[in-house]
Amino acid sequence: MGRVREPFIHITRREGMPLWKGLCIRVGAVAAALLIAALLLTLSAPNSKGFGGFFKSLFEGTFYVNRRGEMNNFWLTLQETALLLCVAIALVVAFKMKFWNLGGNGQVLMGCLACAACMYYLGGETEDPLVWLLMLVASVAAGAVWALIPALFKAFFNTNESLFTLMMNYVAFYLVVFFVALWYPEGTGVMPPLSDANLPTFGAGQMGKSLPVILVAVLVTAAIFCYLRFSKHGYEIGLIGDSKNTARYAGINVKKVIIRTLVLSGALCGLVGFLLVGSINHMVSKTMDGNRGFTGIMVAWMGKFNPLIMTGVSLFIVFLTRGMAQVCSDFGISNDALSDVVIGLIYFFLIGCEFFISYRVHFNVAGRRSRPAPEFAVEGAQKDGSSEASDASGAPEAPPEASEAPEETGAGRGEEAPAPPDASGGARQRQEEET
Amino acid sequence: MEDFFASAISIGVIFLFGCVGEILTEKSGHLNLGIPGIMCMGAAGGCLGVKLCVMGTDAPSGVLTVVVAILFAVLFAGALGAVYAFLTVSLRANQNVTGLACTIFGVGFTTWFINSVVIGRDSVVIGKIAYAGRYFFNAHIPGTEKLGWFGGIFLEQGVLAYLAIALAVAAAVVLRYTRVGLNVRAIGENPATADAVGVNVTGYKYGFIMTGAAVAGLGGLCYVMGYMNGTVGSTVAQTIQGIGWLSIALVIFTMWRPALAILGSILFGALYFVSTRITGISFEQIPLLNLIPFVVTILVLIVTSIVGHRETQPPASLGLPYFREDR
Repeated sequence: MGRVREPFIHITRREGMPLWKGLCIRVGAVAAALLIAALLLTLSAPNSKGFGGFFKSLFEGTFYVNRRGEMNNFWLTLQETALLLCVAIALVVAFKMKFWNLGGNGQVLMGCLACAACMYYLGGETEDPLVWLLMLVASVAAGAVWALIPALFKAFFNTNESLFTLMMNYVAFYLVVFFVALWYPEGTGVMPPLSDANLPTFGAGQMGKSLPVILVAVLVTAAIFCYLRFSKHGYEIGLIGDSKNTARYAGINVKKVIIRTLVLSGALCGLVGFLLVGSINHMVSKTMDGNRGFTGIMVAWMGKFNPLIMTGVSLFIVFLTRGMAQVCSDFGISNDALSDVVIGLIYFFLIGCEFFISYRVHFNVAGRRSRPAPEFAVEGAQKDGSSEASDASGAPEAPPEASEAPEETGAGRGEEAPAPPDASGGARQRQEEET
Repeated sequence: MEDFFASAISIGVIFLFGCVGEILTEKSGHLNLGIPGIMCMGAAGGCLGVKLCVMGTDAPSGVLTVVVAILFAVLFAGALGAVYAFLTVSLRANQNVTGLACTIFGVGFTTWFINSVVIGRDSVVIGKIAYAGRYFFNAHIPGTEKLGWFGGIFLEQGVLAYLAIALAVAAAVVLRYTRVGLNVRAIGENPATADAVGVNVTGYKYGFIMTGAAVAGLGGLCYVMGYMNGTVGSTVAQTIQGIGWLSIALVIFTMWRPALAILGSILFGALYFVSTRITGISFEQIPLLNLIPFVVTILVLIVTSIVGHRETQPPASLGLPYFREDR
């Protein structure tokens, strides 16, 4: 019969964990995930270089210096970080408003496509600076339009924006395939790099290529940080995210803000497309977005929507991605999808460890509390024994429960009434902690 | 014409698996954006199951192969579903983020797994799996030719197609007419209330998320072994990912009703078929056809949001984590 049993695990919310402690938990989670990855790879890879080799290769993905003393990998890492950060920042603008823009991939691709179109049709026809300007305008506009369409429908008809933007990704994907096939009908669907109207670099080598991109990312990040934190627009975005009704009551035109914010979000994604095509690749391919739209969501969320933390997170993710690619090539794994597996694993651990930062877990060993606290009983559902309890009628059950829970002090709170027949009995102790 | 309908159904059932899986998940209040990855996992597990059955024997048993493949697909997909459930139910993580992580993981894992573990260096496997796909998963009931168009459309489907429709009907019945269905719908609408009347919220959520994942995983198996006739390649996961997103959209289109999903998925299947198999167009126009299903999905989303009324609304607590002590 429904004997009262304390739940073994008891969870309470906690606030104000010291920064270093939170950081330690996250570092621990990453370390655990990396250890699992290292174990898997050293055991399964055809050309395994052992545990030490794993971490050596992981770092070489970023810090490898070639014989001429060039740090190409380092600059590539920074460049990739800049691109990823830009996309994540673009998404954060929308996320702050609780608008789930999952269409970063598509918006970046449209920026790429518009930029490539300008280069294809206008490159060499007029002076380069003019083409550069048109490329910039076209890319930004294309990205903005790709975000504007879902935003309009969200604003006026409350259409589900996450699925809408997801579908727009695929529309952009096939549009790129279409245009590449249109421009190069005899080709294999791969566009050769265009030689006209390439954006200027800062000197030779990888560093010169990467610096403009990094510079743009720094500017964008700083600007959006200020925009969100200090401007009236930023305040409106945050307010709509917290409560649309409050925002409406405060006299904010919610529709206008949604549309305006998404245009900004898409425009920043388009800007990334401009950099990808104009400055880095000089061509467009269907996978040029590099899934940054999705990775950017991870960055935004793990960075707590804070542009400064997000910078660190994107650097870390790029470091891992490049490191894993290096590990795969050093370990003789031809299939670089394995790095996605490891990245996914790390996401799982990082997502999971957030729980231990915002909640406290109490283990109820042998009926003793891990921590004394003012207590009272609340009649409620209990996981185990609920079926037995519901078979019996509620009334005769209540007294033994009360007697078996002698600690309870807040009896007679109204919830003590006999449970309805289909409700489970089983009083459950509830700890209230005001920490 | 007969071929067209038959193909529409054979593609549609892939959507149906994904859609029913997502409906089961969403009814418990969890928006699982990991369905594309979970479907991929089903494909990976299914391929492994088939490989285990067909390799090393000259006369593999058809029934055994199908059963083992289904079992492995369910196991793999259910495992990723369990990870999602653990993170979102027990650890109360953000569902969108967790779902996307599942998709990233699932797609990456499947690409790697099919290339490295299932196929590996042994190219014989490809032929053997294709054989299993052709003759085991797409085996017809004998004698259907005599039934004319009816037999051609409805009775010459692979075994997984019937499983999909049976699961959809079962899901509809369970959600609508049983105590279990009532409880899970209550949880989806308001978990605190369900908790108060003694429903085991955590248990139900785990149960439905993992069942949903398992069902969706069969969709991945159905794509590889059923629709593709066992042709495993390196781009399988990418394609399934696209199908997975469409399946999630289909949930809105069918207004969270598994029975309607049967019709909806066949409609989507027809669209998908039109977009991949039309002939007589030039090479560069093919991508424009490929994007038809996605554009139609967008239109469907818009239309359902404009004419939306009470019946077409998602479960009220969809996407919100439930923490009992927050009441």
